[in-house]
Amino acid sequence: MNNRRDFLTQSLAGAGMVGLTSSRVLAGTSPTRPPKRFIFVHKGNGLLPGSLVPPTFDGDLLKAEERKEALVADLDNHDLPGWMAPLAKHQDNMTILQGLSGKMCTTGHHTWCSSLGAFKANERLSSIKWATVDFELAKLFPSPFQHIEFACFPSGGGNSRGNINGIEKGFSARGPQQPNYAFGSPKVAMQELFKSVSADKSAQVRYELERKTLAFLAANEGSLAGQLKGAEFAKVANYADAVQDIRQRNLRVEAMGDLIRQHVPQLAQKYLAEDISTVDRQAGLVEVMLSTLISGMTNVVTFTADELGTPYTGLPGLEGENVNQHDVGHGKSFAGVEAGDIREKIRHQHMGLLDTIVSRLKAVPEAGGTMFDNTMLFYLPNNGETHHSKGSEWPFIVIAGDNTSLDIGRRYIRLPEYGKSGHKTLGNWYTTLLQAHGNSINHYGSLDVALKIDQQGPIADFMS
Amino acid sequence: MGGQNENMPATHDRIQTNPVAHPPNLIEQTAQVSVQAAAFARSPFYRMQNKRNHQSLNLTSASAVFSQGGHSNEWAVTWCQSFASLAGNCGMKNILVLALFQLLSGSDLVAQTPAVGPPVSIPSNVKSVMLDHCIDCHRGESAEAGVRFDDFADLQSNEQVELLNRVQDQLFFELMPPADAGPLSESAHLTVTKWLRDELRHRDASKLDEKLRHPAYGNYVNHQKLFDGSIAAAPFTQSRRWLVSPQIFHERVNAIFKLEGRSRQTKFYGVTNPIVLPDHSGIRYFDTTAVDGGHLLVMLNNADWISEKQILGATQFGKKGGNLEFTNQKDRWYPSTAPEPFVTIVEKTNAPSDEQLIAAIHAQFDCVLQRNATQTEIDRHLPELQTNIELAGNREGLRQMLVSVLLKSEFLYRLEFGAGPTDEHDRRRLSPREASYAIAYAITDRPPDDRLTLAAQEGRLLSAADYRREVNRLLDDQKSFYGAVDPHVSSGHIRPHQVTHPKIVRFFREFFGYPNSIKLFKDVVRSGGFYDNAGRDYTGTAGSVTNEADRVVDHILIRDANVFEELLTTDEFFVLHPRSNEEGQQLVDSWQSAYEGLKGTDWKGNTEQALLENFEHHKEHFAALRITDLKEDRRRVHIREFKRYMNYFENTFAKGKTPFTFPWFFHGGQKFRHSEIYNLPPVPGAGPLDYRGQWSRGGYETTNTWDYPIVQPFKVPHRKGILTHPAWLLAHSQNTETDPVRRGRWIREKLLAGLVPDVPITVDAVIPEDHHRTLRERLDSVTSKQECWKCHQRMNPLGLPFESFDDFGRFRTAESLEHPENLIEQTGRKTNLNVYVTKPVNSLGHLSGTDDPLLDGDVADAFDLIERLAKSERVRQSIIRHAFRYFMGRNEMPTDSQTLINADQAYLDSGGSFRAVMVSLLSSDSFIFRKTLED
Repeated sequence: MNNRRDFLTQSLAGAGMVGLTSSRVLAGTSPTRPPKRFIFVHKGNGLLPGSLVPPTFDGDLLKAEERKEALVADLDNHDLPGWMAPLAKHQDNMTILQGLSGKMCTTGHHTWCSSLGAFKANERLSSIKWATVDFELAKLFPSPFQHIEFACFPSGGGNSRGNINGIEKGFSARGPQQPNYAFGSPKVAMQELFKSVSADKSAQVRYELERKTLAFLAANEGSLAGQLKGAEFAKVANYADAVQDIRQRNLRVEAMGDLIRQHVPQLAQKYLAEDISTVDRQAGLVEVMLSTLISGMTNVVTFTADELGTPYTGLPGLEGENVNQHDVGHGKSFAGVEAGDIREKIRHQHMGLLDTIVSRLKAVPEAGGTMFDNTMLFYLPNNGETHHSKGSEWPFIVIAGDNTSLDIGRRYIRLPEYGKSGHKTLGNWYTTLLQAHGNSINHYGSLDVALKIDQQGPIADFMS
Repeated sequence: MGGQNENMPATHDRIQTNPVAHPPNLIEQTAQVSVQAAAFARSPFYRMQNKRNHQSLNLTSASAVFSQGGHSNEWAVTWCQSFASLAGNCGMKNILVLALFQLLSGSDLVAQTPAVGPPVSIPSNVKSVMLDHCIDCHRGESAEAGVRFDDFADLQSNEQVELLNRVQDQLFFELMPPADAGPLSESAHLTVTKWLRDELRHRDASKLDEKLRHPAYGNYVNHQKLFDGSIAAAPFTQSRRWLVSPQIFHERVNAIFKLEGRSRQTKFYGVTNPIVLPDHSGIRYFDTTAVDGGHLLVMLNNADWISEKQILGATQFGKKGGNLEFTNQKDRWYPSTAPEPFVTIVEKTNAPSDEQLIAAIHAQFDCVLQRNATQTEIDRHLPELQTNIELAGNREGLRQMLVSVLLKSEFLYRLEFGAGPTDEHDRRRLSPREASYAIAYAITDRPPDDRLTLAAQEGRLLSAADYRREVNRLLDDQKSFYGAVDPHVSSGHIRPHQVTHPKIVRFFREFFGYPNSIKLFKDVVRSGGFYDNAGRDYTGTAGSVTNEADRVVDHILIRDANVFEELLTTDEFFVLHPRSNEEGQQLVDSWQSAYEGLKGTDWKGNTEQALLENFEHHKEHFAALRITDLKEDRRRVHIREFKRYMNYFENTFAKGKTPFTFPWFFHGGQKFRHSEIYNLPPVPGAGPLDYRGQWSRGGYETTNTWDYPIVQPFKVPHRKGILTHPAWLLAHSQNTETDPVRRGRWIREKLLAGLVPDVPITVDAVIPEDHHRTLRERLDSVTSKQECWKCHQRMNPLGLPFESFDDFGRFRTAESLEHPENLIEQTGRKTNLNVYVTKPVNSLGHLSGTDDPLLDGDVADAFDLIERLAKSERVRQSIIRHAFRYFMGRNEMPTDSQTLINADQAYLDSGGSFRAVMVSLLSSDSFIFRKTLED
């Protein structure tokens, strides 16, 4: 991200950090052009736009904010809201983006793939119109796994998953009518993502069986295809090729075995338990996520920090409570803590996770800088501006390294209000991201049928 | 990605015409004013070499000419012989051709891939034609569009093949020679096209063959030739793998677990259906789709889940499952039976014998593929299974074998190779087993039933008569396949319509494309509040009217007389019909009686007292109001119900109207409220939706409310057939506007077997905004230009008569110009439509393409147009063609002429029976015989 002052040089890359050197470097990717990386962290129950306003806003600035008038403020001149304190040391890399609308999305309690796809999604596969923006970005920066998704799944509400510790449909989409699958617990994520380098005997056996089955399948289907011609050949060969592709991916991962072993998350037992608190689940998943990024298994990750139906347990100050976020959305207090304060605690908890991610990536040397230089992290609500959202606002916090491609750094930006000239939507924002990174799409996302202004294309002011 | 993003339709949610297209000569004209001007105009090759999209543009445009033209009978024998009909004789000029081919060089046409196969040797007669007609423009560095034949001999063989494919396309679609260069004689054309066909097929590299199999190319076969009886070739279908449909896939999973009857599952927790059909209207389930990586990814997860359940079924076989612990409480299902060989292996504590392993392999092949493993397959799977068991033990080793069979591509395909004997036309008859599956999957989504399997085993599935017998038997079966037309059209009390043969109704759904209405997202306020968008677990108003369209189709199919005409012209519809006619009448009678008996009570002034005082005396009446006792803890509910009912009756019976049988205060009753989409009065009591889609409950309109017709279907004014059904009109609309271009295109392609080229990529197909003009006026302003009209004349005159219906499907005589400047009255209510300036609807149109001078001509409105279409022989035959595609899973070929003629005749002879059409098609040579192109 292009900042308006020099990037603060990192000095963390000492001799002791060699072991965390980015796999891209080690894997032979040009050290001068490491890939861009994208991290999407989204939350449920809305992200109240007012909560993102710096407390140091006053006078005309505050009035403009209250009137939701377009404004740009230099974050350097302002304090962050209290709940963002964990990000204070990353303020140089931050943007607070307000005023995007998302009425082309499903809104309200649950939104499924809407927030990342900019279309009206629901639980039906047919509602998935296209690949979500994280997958589109992943296509631009290929990696062995392309994209990895983690989620603290909801176990209640209208969008509950059967097994919150398993691999279930996530909140991203690979393509039209193709939901992505997300890892629900640190344990299952460890098992699946690091199975090729697992030290566990039964896991090794299972991986070996899977490997053998794929080889067997590839041989059989390949052999069958070899006997066919023309269209019939394609009908089998495509499939045989797909099996081969997975084997190749596995081989690439296996070839990275030594590197991956260096970054296998060393999780304490409590993070691998079935009965795990939400806070521990988040921490464990973040560790796994960081390992996949640092080892080069993927360049794009998406993390559902929570969803409306996620029972929030382990929240500091409310450790003994199972906080029902729906109730919080309706103003209910828990253990004497008011709903607004619980919201703030949850956001503060999330900011701690973001700090972990950013700090860790800033500590990994890469191409003369750090991994974070080439990373953009987005924190967003998965359902807009509040509990019963209507998509009138969709706030974002962006934390981005110096080599990333947008000119928005270190600013508080409020875009023109919904319906006003110059107003921008989630679609505009995602189009901006895609165009800035090499995808020439005219417009990403559905259009808002009720919005009568020109709403296609990128946000030109953000393009560097 | 951009406009070419496969993941995102270029037109999604855009407010624009869709799709607009240009005729062949328009392409030329458009190109002339473009940067690429002259070369573009004269040499479509140019476009083909530079952009894939251009290729389809040229192919589609030229093919329009092809299809309209007459061709000789030779053309009709096979696809490639069809090229030959365009040909004639040509003098032989061989002298310089070879030299030219060797001398001239350089082309960027070809793919940069290694040479495969021997070099192409062009015969002298072909060279002669090319010398006469091609070389002048296509040689040297200045070759037209950079396409040159002079360096042909220097190209690698794969490059040569690529070039030949392009030439074949150009000739087939009559794009070459260009108009200003003079046509090829028939014999010259035949010489070249026949050689191209033979050469490319011999190399298994003919792209045209593949292209013409896709749904979009269905109408490229000359309609007249198909039905005039001039083609005597023996029909056949190409030997094939045919990807299963989503429904067949689901039934195959049921079959894995041997689930039948009531144990059959409608949904499996851990199974994601990997089969997705395209969205467009028209036949979508073709044999052209190949399994790919997406299918594999889904199947990997599916196979894991299914195999786990198979193993669980085996380990729990004969045991009670009460003590079972499930890691996922929502996924507790497992099969109650398991193949004995699986049980044997999981129960063994030592290594199974080879015989036991082979039995397990056979069992899994039987579960998944409904056949035994071949010896070759046993030879492959057995050592793999043995190794797996050594590695991981009996249970996990067995499970991996189950997975390996589940992941075979065969599981996702229907196999129709023609394993029966070869006849005098070199066609291979389907084997009885193949036939049993072909018949079963044509009429149902399930594998063959026992009787069909037995018929196959006993050799009673050989002749056309055998096929007819089994097809008729399955069609006579009113129970076995009974089920929802579309299980997804549902929510709470709105249930999908149930029919005896869902797959047959699905043909008409695909043909008309009306289920696509569900994908729309409408601005609720514009409807005046009655419209409900689809949401979570609810398909909204569009889903409801789609369901009602299914009812209309089913109703007509049950009568099975003049089916096509009825579908096009019926004025009888189902609207909000949650109960059968009999149930509805009984309910309303009981309500009427209750109202008459209780209206004299003081239910309005003191409801509780009226309830208590009259309950014993009028128990039967109160029962009709769902009040069957006087329990105090239910008192509040009873009082509320009593009052609601009486209010409801006072606003219906008391006004001489019949109440709707699922009133607003029933659970889910607010969803039964879209009568206005048919221009019927509002449902009494079901208040409009506000702008957020939330309901205002219980208010009774002061205006006229609906006098509910209990007996349905009933006549609805201003409607004539499916094309005026709200579901079809919605499906062929945009989110905020009608779509006369798409409506017209549908009629041209689906009813008139006509062609509309794809929209040229140089055209930004957008209707200009102008709030002083109607949509028609705005559309005319951009499409009346000569270069646009050449194509739009095929669509607009057919679609514009439907401007009598708005984008919700409501009949109208005036179009509301919805814009703040045109606002006449703002209602001040979020749920009511503002009143805007209107302009009269111009519903004039023009019918062309029926080949019947009595029908073609100007039409006054949609009803006039529909009336004529329903009388058209071409329309009838076009529907037959689409039925052919549906049941055969492919486009018709010229060689299918006799099959189509027979089906058409069956329809006529039977008084318009669609069943007769099905029986004819499913016992035709096209259905029974298989052949490979090499044959």
